[in-house]
Amino acid sequence: MAKVDELIANKEERVLCLGNEAIARGAIEAGVQVFAAYPGTPSSEASTALIATSSKLGHYAEWSTNEKVAFETAYGAAISGIRAMTACKHVGINVLSDALFSAAYMGTTGGFVLLVADDPHCFSSQNEQDSRWLGVTAQVPVLEPSNPQEAKDFTKLAFDISEKFEQIMVLRSTTRISHARADIQFEKFNTEFKKGEFEKGIRYKCLPAIARANHPKLVAKLEEIANWIPESGLSVIEGPSNNEYGVITSGISYEYLRDALDLLNKDIPILKLGMIAPLDKKTILDFAKDKKNIIFIEEVDAYLEDRISALLIQNGLTPKIHGKCTGLTKRYHELNSRIVAEALQGIIGGELSSIDKIEEIAEETKDFIPFRPPLFCPGCQHRAAFWELSKVVRKNKGIFASDIGCYSLDPWLTDTILCMGGGISMANGFSRVINDKPVFAFIGDSTFFHTGLPALANAVYHKANINILVLDNRMTAMTGFQPNPTETIDIAEIAKSLGVQHVVEFDPYDFEKGKETFEEALKHEGPSVIIMKKVCANEWWRQTRRRGEKIEVYTIDPETCISCGTCIVQYQCPAISWSIDTNSRGKNYSVIDPSMCTGCSVCSQLCPVGAISKAEE
Amino acid sequence: MKDTYQMMVCGVGGQGILTITDIIVMAAKEKGLRVLGSEVHGMAQKGGSVVTNLKIGKELHSPVTPVGSCKALVGLEQNETLRYLKFLEPGGTVITSKTVLFPISWKKDKKAAQLARESIEENLSKFDAEVVMINAERLAIEAGLALAQNIVLLGALSQVEGFPLTVNELKDALKRRVPSKYLEQNIKAFELGIKSLEN
Repeated sequence: MAKVDELIANKEERVLCLGNEAIARGAIEAGVQVFAAYPGTPSSEASTALIATSSKLGHYAEWSTNEKVAFETAYGAAISGIRAMTACKHVGINVLSDALFSAAYMGTTGGFVLLVADDPHCFSSQNEQDSRWLGVTAQVPVLEPSNPQEAKDFTKLAFDISEKFEQIMVLRSTTRISHARADIQFEKFNTEFKKGEFEKGIRYKCLPAIARANHPKLVAKLEEIANWIPESGLSVIEGPSNNEYGVITSGISYEYLRDALDLLNKDIPILKLGMIAPLDKKTILDFAKDKKNIIFIEEVDAYLEDRISALLIQNGLTPKIHGKCTGLTKRYHELNSRIVAEALQGIIGGELSSIDKIEEIAEETKDFIPFRPPLFCPGCQHRAAFWELSKVVRKNKGIFASDIGCYSLDPWLTDTILCMGGGISMANGFSRVINDKPVFAFIGDSTFFHTGLPALANAVYHKANINILVLDNRMTAMTGFQPNPTETIDIAEIAKSLGVQHVVEFDPYDFEKGKETFEEALKHEGPSVIIMKKVCANEWWRQTRRRGEKIEVYTIDPETCISCGTCIVQYQCPAISWSIDTNSRGKNYSVIDPSMCTGCSVCSQLCPVGAISKAEE
Repeated sequence: MKDTYQMMVCGVGGQGILTITDIIVMAAKEKGLRVLGSEVHGMAQKGGSVVTNLKIGKELHSPVTPVGSCKALVGLEQNETLRYLKFLEPGGTVITSKTVLFPISWKKDKKAAQLARESIEENLSKFDAEVVMINAERLAIEAGLALAQNIVLLGALSQVEGFPLTVNELKDALKRRVPSKYLEQNIKAFELGIKSLEN
């Protein structure tokens, strides 16, 4: 929501922006010089902002083909002594981990920050993976801001800490911080871009003997960082001094806790950790030493609870622990101030207004509220392609391995969605054991370049008998229409050069041609690649309207329509609904909303009675 | 937190939920108040159920408003209003449009749709809330811009007792936020919204 002009203005002012944009501003204030990322909700806006501001500020920024490529790009720049950053969603960590775990041993000379945005509650993700554990598994320091302002301030700080200790820094956010909007205090910045200078030596070669020597150095460095945290101001103790209870928390959970205590009208000592790995042992032990009860408030995993409980035992402290181990909060989904207040009430008491009556009425009325699943947009070519395919191969007659992208919304065929690029490889696996059914893989253009390429090479090399449908809508649509290599690299040429014998491109709006294309592909032995190359209908529609050009919409003749529902109930185009009036036979008929119709013509091709035609001027 | 104004705006993606949330936060910031809100991006796109949480005040912490905590709820689609009504505190105010947008499940099951439509007012009235129903579509068309239903509701919201922003403060933010070629219609929609509550 913040404008590019606001993000680049070298002024001290309050600006309304998203948490992700605040992070981008923090990087700008820190003088980030190289940025590379792959989009992924809820991290994308930080990257969008850094890419949008790059031409004006002069830093290098790119949308990379995947998270690992992005990490390595930024890392190469950072070890040349300049400030660099990458960003991804939690599952993006799985893609870049190969680089991260070894880079942690080698460290960096220029400030290097990895932003990871987790998605508790799976608002737009496939799991609730908790990235805080990177502090243990990858042995990297992790900063965890609690709100959008801290997100900006910590980003800036992360570059300083990274350079001070020559170590990679992880900045961990969550959906409620990244997608919060707030008024953020911006500061002035003084950027001097440097020329990269790479110091040659053995440090950056992770050969066994060198790695063996680097690991103890890393362990010592983490100890050094842990000892430094108390003077950094990152650990904050608040509230009264009191030996009965103490709460330890971090990140967004701290804000829920503050509101919860307010609801309960209670005040107890809080230790808020800004750096959650390595642990600030000194402050934690000082805080816990006289407390009878230690309460942990955190979302998803029991990260603080498990690690700090161990720390307390190792140091002979035995307070009563309240946390996930006592069922205080759940090990899944997000928290809010009410959940935290209800959890604390059982321990520290306090008054809380009842919401039983509200919940009761909500329960009574919930069956009347319609489910609104996300659907393909009007005119979406993916809907047309899946429909055509469903007419050629019925669901139970084939195996359909899909992938991550807009096409994950397919309501008819899809059997599996696992991870980025997983469809083609899973199809390979299916084809080895299922011989009486055709096996299909669906993949979008961005996912194809992300991790589809190695899977395709593998399928060709091992002669997998699979049909790969590439849904090339010319952009990374699901995460906000980011550009990707499909703009300049032709997927059909790639497939041919890899040795795929059967490569076909087709226009999914052409219904008859689509059926023929699929039937033809099924006859072919070995991998076939069918490419549906057409610019995202939603983006095309928006841009056409923005240019003020006319869109030739379709209309339905009420008297010809037999109310069969093919276009509404089966094809599910959101632009078509039942009429309020009835026709001369007393039936509700289908109507197209001209403000939503993109003129794709598919409904007119599938209407069994020819009731749909181009609207006259 | 006790002097914090908590509210929600809900509807169906594409109805202008983020636009009025923007206008409210812009006006609040201009007034020197702190704002903190939360919204969900990504999968929740066109046609999905969309909601934004908003807190306006001095010292703000969590961006989410739990069940039973909002002083006002603005609903751009009446079934979405019913979905989020539980977030209102007892006695809070709901400004809801009478607009109905059919989801795919209702297109499939016409009987369920019929029943839900017949019971909507009764269902809304079950909650301890002051429900204000506005024919936002008619008023927006009267203002000359069918898309301005959100702005009609914003006008009505300005009249809710305790809402921390004045008509002029909202109008100033509106002028900065909406495209200049549709400003006149938007101002008209805003004023029709104000009037709808006066009568």
